Amino acid sequence: MKCKTLHNKLIFFLEGDLPEKEANEMKAHLAECESCAAFAEDMQKTLGIIHIEKSPEVNPFFYTRLKVQMENEEEKTRRSVGFPVWEKVLQPAFFSLLLLAGIYTGIKIGQPVTAETSHSIFAETELVPFLNEMETEPIETFLME
Amino acid sequence: MSETEIIHKLKQGNETAFKELVENYRNMVVNTCFGLIHNTEDAEDVAQDVFIEVFRSVENFRADSKLSTWLYRIAVNRSLNFIRDNKKRRWFQSFDDTIEAKKEELNRLSSSDSENPETSLENSQRALILHEAVDSLPENQRVAFTLNKYEDLPYKEISEVMNLSVSSVESLIHRAKKNLQKKLHHCYKKKCI
Ligand SMILES: [Zn+2]
Repeated sequence: MKCKTLHNKLIFFLEGDLPEKEANEMKAHLAECESCAAFAEDMQKTLGIIHIEKSPEVNPFFYTRLKVQMENEEEKTRRSVGFPVWEKVLQPAFFSLLLLAGIYTGIKIGQPVTAETSHSIFAETELVPFLNEMETEPIETFLME
Repeated sequence: MSETEIIHKLKQGNETAFKELVENYRNMVVNTCFGLIHNTEDAEDVAQDVFIEVFRSVENFRADSKLSTWLYRIAVNRSLNFIRDNKKRRWFQSFDDTIEAKKEELNRLSSSDSENPETSLENSQRALILHEAVDSLPENQRVAFTLNKYEDLPYKEISEVMNLSVSSVESLIHRAKKNLQKKLHHCYKKKCI
């Protein structure tokens, strides 16, 4: 077996994926080739890290932390739900109320004005003879007097 | 409580059932997340989100699939999303911050075995090399490899988690190992350690 052949199959050998015959050939080469043996040892150590890392110690407060996070998120969603309600319902309602109030005050302000105008029409007719009197007398004679 | 019982009670919003589910599956979920993320704290954070998602979407859980398959799927998706977001964040982060994070990771790894500091330093260096090699794999190879190596899942179950055929999973893991071998050989020749 050539060193290159071993390099191409080494991981499968270490993982126990090779058929027995091929595995034996690999073993034989590793027994007599120092550089391949060194590489095999290196790779085995690196892959062995997975076994060290596996099944980590999980924080004992995992569940407590989880509950706190869930409550926080619920609070957040409640708040984020509150915002659309303000935007979609309360805000338009507020503005239409404001508009209605505007119209109402408009009407209220308008009403005495119409009442006054009718009054003023009456006053005008009363004024008319006096104004007509003024008109009949030319301004020059009035000034000369 | 049996698995079906837990699911049944969970659908009614039973908190005891939820607590039992978390106690039963947290190691599995954290380990899966860790296999992809390589950082204990982040893996635990993502695992918390996994359980929150489970609690909120248990209505959609179909009884014809295994609970663990469903949990693995959520854990994988959440971890991959976390990695993507993290990459985006790192893009804006300075190089120094990245180095600092790596150093912290190294310190944490090496402090895990205080009796034998030399081996633990070597192990933490090896861990960095392994993580980098695994991270360089295409996403589906990485997922299949991680589920197989960190969780010892058989190809059949991986195929259910990933929605693939068993032969596709087999081929993914084969290619993942080939790629890792290439990386590790390259590193060995360069004397990374
Ligand atoms: Zn050789």
